[in-house]
Amino acid sequence: MNLQTYRANLIRFQSLIALFILCLALSILSDKFLTVSNAWNVMRQISVNICISTGMTLIVLTAGIDLSVGSVLALCGAITAGLLRNGIEVPSGNLYIGFTLLGAVIAGILTGSFLGAFNGWAITKFKVPPFVATLAMLTIARGLTMLWTQGFPISGLGDTFLYFGTGWLLGIPVPVWISGIIVLIAVLITNKTRLGRYIYAIGGNESASKLSGINVNRVKIIVYTIAGALAAIGGILVTSRLDSAQPNAGTSYELDSIAAVVIGGTSLSGGRGSILGTVQGAIIIGVLNNGLVLLNVSPFWQQVVKGFVILLAVIIDKSNSKND
Amino acid sequence: MKKIIKYTGSVLLVAVVAYNSVYFKKLDEVKAGATSFDAAKYAEKFWTEKLTPHVAKAIEIGQLLTLLQTDKNKAFADHAHALGIGNVKYFLVKGSGIVKSVEENQVMVKIESEREKPEVAIATEYVFGNAVRDASGEIDINAFTNSMDFNNVSGELNKIIREKVIPPFRSKVKTGDKVTFSGAIELNKEHLSTRSIEIIPIDLKIVNE
Repeated sequence: MNLQTYRANLIRFQSLIALFILCLALSILSDKFLTVSNAWNVMRQISVNICISTGMTLIVLTAGIDLSVGSVLALCGAITAGLLRNGIEVPSGNLYIGFTLLGAVIAGILTGSFLGAFNGWAITKFKVPPFVATLAMLTIARGLTMLWTQGFPISGLGDTFLYFGTGWLLGIPVPVWISGIIVLIAVLITNKTRLGRYIYAIGGNESASKLSGINVNRVKIIVYTIAGALAAIGGILVTSRLDSAQPNAGTSYELDSIAAVVIGGTSLSGGRGSILGTVQGAIIIGVLNNGLVLLNVSPFWQQVVKGFVILLAVIIDKSNSKND
Repeated sequence: MKKIIKYTGSVLLVAVVAYNSVYFKKLDEVKAGATSFDAAKYAEKFWTEKLTPHVAKAIEIGQLLTLLQTDKNKAFADHAHALGIGNVKYFLVKGSGIVKSVEENQVMVKIESEREKPEVAIATEYVFGNAVRDASGEIDINAFTNSMDFNNVSGELNKIIREKVIPPFRSKVKTGDKVTFSGAIELNKEHLSTRSIEIIPIDLKIVNE
């Protein structure tokens, strides 16, 4: 094996190597880390991040970014909970519209899709930089969440709804199933479909993609819509796990999501990366969070450590891009 | 032909999903069936049926303080209650003692205890928080549909204390009186301090012979 092949393999497996070293270190430092219950605990916790990070990966692959996922997550969770619990009252028509579990979940996902599509539309139609457009949506969605909930949590959503976030199916937590299915579909989309190839092409070279006949704007809107829908699913999982839609849910989730994408090897400049890399990144972030808690590290230091890990991942990404 | 089948299939799917997603009712019928939560009524019932009987079973504060010094974990495991995770726990306690001073916001009592005789403060002015609601362990959060209702119960319990428990005691108590009390206290398991214990009173009596 020559030096170049060795280096290429090292880059390819950098996330897995980092995860292995992290797990090894935590196993030595804490006897509670390497247990089956803790492993399921970590997997359950990262399921939400995997959902939103999958959407974020698609966006970052097109050289975009979405800062609104945390707020969209909160709004969609709140809308699902609100509709399920209170329905909609139309006093002028003496009408009450009740929502079944299916209806409330669909409404939540449609809301997320709509907000995502709105992001995509603003970015493509008005050429607003994704950073700015989604930053605006971050505030809009958070404000709408406060309006919808009046600043109070919505609780008491029923056992069936709770099953999404807390149930087990065939010995595996339901959120892990849901995030697993999402990852599987996203892997198929990115690797086996025309849309997937377009996403990579746009991130690699947007101008060349346009010239080769790809409808760049349409692809971008689709990608942001998917990300919004996945954020909504994340919101439903969080709401179900807590049996409560919290108005401040999802705060700073966008950072964990971007961290998972970057640590997973997806280039912030687009065109390079993978969904499975992001899953590894999300697991690293989850394991890191879990390990720091088990080691009784102060939450303030946890933020500092996470910040440095993200910085390190970006530096490695830049270094790789430069060498490429 | 293929297109027609495709569109018909899509429309049917949407119709089936929509049919199973929403239902319609008359608003006045729904409102007539719904009962709004009355926190004051709930608190009154909780006070008489659950809290007051439970106070009889509360641990003597002197006994608790001794147990906290000798076996903190057992003290928290056997006598503490809390609804959430975290180090802050609530205890239901009872005891008796001699009033050392009557201050603006509290009455300081030197408790009767077999070993040392520590001083505790009985709150008589600022009665806030969830200590009384949570200390008995007799309230079930799952019985509430939203946290606003649940928190309102605390507010109403504290109102009962402010309006019915404290005034008759506060108007008569003086330094040197012998008193009996029961109430709720809050302790932090991780950063335990028993030097400045404040009791939110549930029952207060002056028992001078």
